[in-house]
Amino acid sequence: MTTATATPVLDYHSDRYKDAYSRINAIVIEGEQEAHDNYIDLAKLLPQHQEELTRLAKMEARHKKGFEACGRNLSVTPDMEFAKAFFEKLRANFQRALAEGKTATCLLIQALIIESFAIAAYNIYIPMADPFARKITESVVKDEYSHLNFGEIWLKEHFESVKGELEEANRANLPLVWKMLNQVEADAKVLGMEKDALVEDFMIQYSGALENIGFTTREIMKMSVYGLTGA
Amino acid sequence: MFGLIGHLTSLEHAQAVAHQLGYPEYADQGLEFWCMAPPQIVDEITVTSVTGKTIYGKYVESCFLPEMLANQRVKAATRKVINAMAHAQKHNIDITALGGFSSIIFENFDLEKMSHIRNIELDFRRFTTGNTHTAYIICQQIEQAAPQVGIDLRQATVAVCGATGDIGSAVCRWLNTCLDVQDLLLVARNRDRLLELQAELGRGKILDLMEALPLADIVVWVASMPKGVELSIEQLKRPSLMIDGGYPKNMATKIQHPQIHVLNGGIVEHALDIDWKIMEIVNMDVPSRQMFACFAEAMLLEFEGWHTNFSWGRNQITVEKMQQIGEVSRKHGFQPLLLNPQ
Ligand SMILES: NC(=O)C1=CN([C@@H]2O[C@H](COP(=O)(O)OP(=O)(O)OC[C@H]3O[C@@H](n4cnc5c(N)ncnc54)[C@H](OP(=O)(O)O)[C@@H]3O)[C@@H](O)[C@H]2O)C=CC1
Ligand SMILES: [Fe+2]
Ligand SMILES: [Fe+2]
Repeated sequence: MTTATATPVLDYHSDRYKDAYSRINAIVIEGEQEAHDNYIDLAKLLPQHQEELTRLAKMEARHKKGFEACGRNLSVTPDMEFAKAFFEKLRANFQRALAEGKTATCLLIQALIIESFAIAAYNIYIPMADPFARKITESVVKDEYSHLNFGEIWLKEHFESVKGELEEANRANLPLVWKMLNQVEADAKVLGMEKDALVEDFMIQYSGALENIGFTTREIMKMSVYGLTGA
Repeated sequence: MFGLIGHLTSLEHAQAVAHQLGYPEYADQGLEFWCMAPPQIVDEITVTSVTGKTIYGKYVESCFLPEMLANQRVKAATRKVINAMAHAQKHNIDITALGGFSSIIFENFDLEKMSHIRNIELDFRRFTTGNTHTAYIICQQIEQAAPQVGIDLRQATVAVCGATGDIGSAVCRWLNTCLDVQDLLLVARNRDRLLELQAELGRGKILDLMEALPLADIVVWVASMPKGVELSIEQLKRPSLMIDGGYPKNMATKIQHPQIHVLNGGIVEHALDIDWKIMEIVNMDVPSRQMFACFAEAMLLEFEGWHTNFSWGRNQITVEKMQQIGEVSRKHGFQPLLLNPQ
């Protein structure tokens, strides 16, 4: 956690907390499901990485189970309908890129954007989480770093040929991330997570990934804030 | 490899710089945006010592702005500092100076307790506040600039505004031990700390800023203020020497009077040109050679291979340590900034 001031005391069993949790928990569960499906789909574009991608997909399925248990532990029913709608646009973009055989775009959406989003959210959630969820989230976040890494390595190896596609995919998808964040700002706050910290951590992760892939600071500074203020 | 963690002096300054560097996405943004912005490495630096040794460094912009403190965005402020430190460490920088407000935020909000950040365990030995060198340079400026304007230190009253701070207390120790000044005026807000300092020094008069100013032949400005003090000529002694070491400046007003001499405090000039862009941004007169002494401290530690937090914590700077860093400062070709001969 990156704040110095005292952690607010959260009442994990209050109606207010549980109501917010029903949406955030659902998003997390749905996000893990999407991640699972996306890695399975990616294997179609990257058959030579079939084994590795199947392994990642399995991890995502396990994460999903873990977060479902977190909801049950607080006796919260996740609002899956809300979560499905939440991911709809990003999912559609992924599916379109998949159909067009655009590997770099698919990787940007799943391995960079979704993974960075997950890492940022989980890292900020951990110090605020109930003890049960904290343990689970701590082990999940370690896995997510390795998923981010998979995307970085492939994109780095193909950097010259996919640079333009990545820039375009960034323009098409990053604004969706900001909109998604705005949508959950109030709920996240109830869970003790501040929007500006989430955005900052997301940008740190995402910029770091772009840097590892081969973008220059100037390019990263422009790409990573794209659409932020219009959101 | 050395690092410098820096920030700009105000939102307006940040917007102007972003504009100048060709980042319209950043130039049009308000404080809210800077509260979300991540740290960035925006400059790569090569420095050569007069001994011939060459070292390399990186400049990390933390995206902190003093307005964050003024507007109670404390969490954002602390995140900027910690994230910039994590960024420096992730980029394998051996010794990084915490410039401007970075070290003040680190201390005031007890960030030492937050060594674990995401998947990084911060190693504080890789960071230095740079305050020992800054204090040393300010003392050199007092000693060398006073005769430039006809002030005899032995008969001079020196006021230190921010006396109980890390730099201020070090300056007081030096004035007490190494220089022979007539009177020492201690200015700060917290009375307990002032009394403690007075007891340690065994001298010094505790005064309010406005009481001290008309009495002082020399004023050393080393208070940590997000915004400077508005001053008029009538409040100052004439002649007098103002050494403003604040960042942002402690003196908000540009004083123009033939008998009031204002010197940029805590600034050094290197003997050789440095290849970088950042000092232009913070408005140094000779951006290829002038810089904050705290940044120069990171360079000195790198030149000497002292990869350790030479300046750390609060009010622990000794005269011996100042002498030690002063010696290597001269050895590698750094000079305190002095007044331009009229
Ligand atoms: N040139 C360079 O290379 C460097 C410059 N600096 C600058 O030097 C300054 C001091 O840094 P540092 O010693 O680390 O800071 P500290 O926080 O250690 O000390 C600040 C001092 O200022 C006093 N102070 C704060 N506000 C006021 C006020 N309104 N009126 C009077 N006194 C005040 C504090 O005492 P109290 O709270 O009791 O009033 C304290 O004595 C800062 O502006 C910093 O940015 C820092 C590092 C390097
Ligand atoms: Fe996952
Ligand atoms: Fe993942």
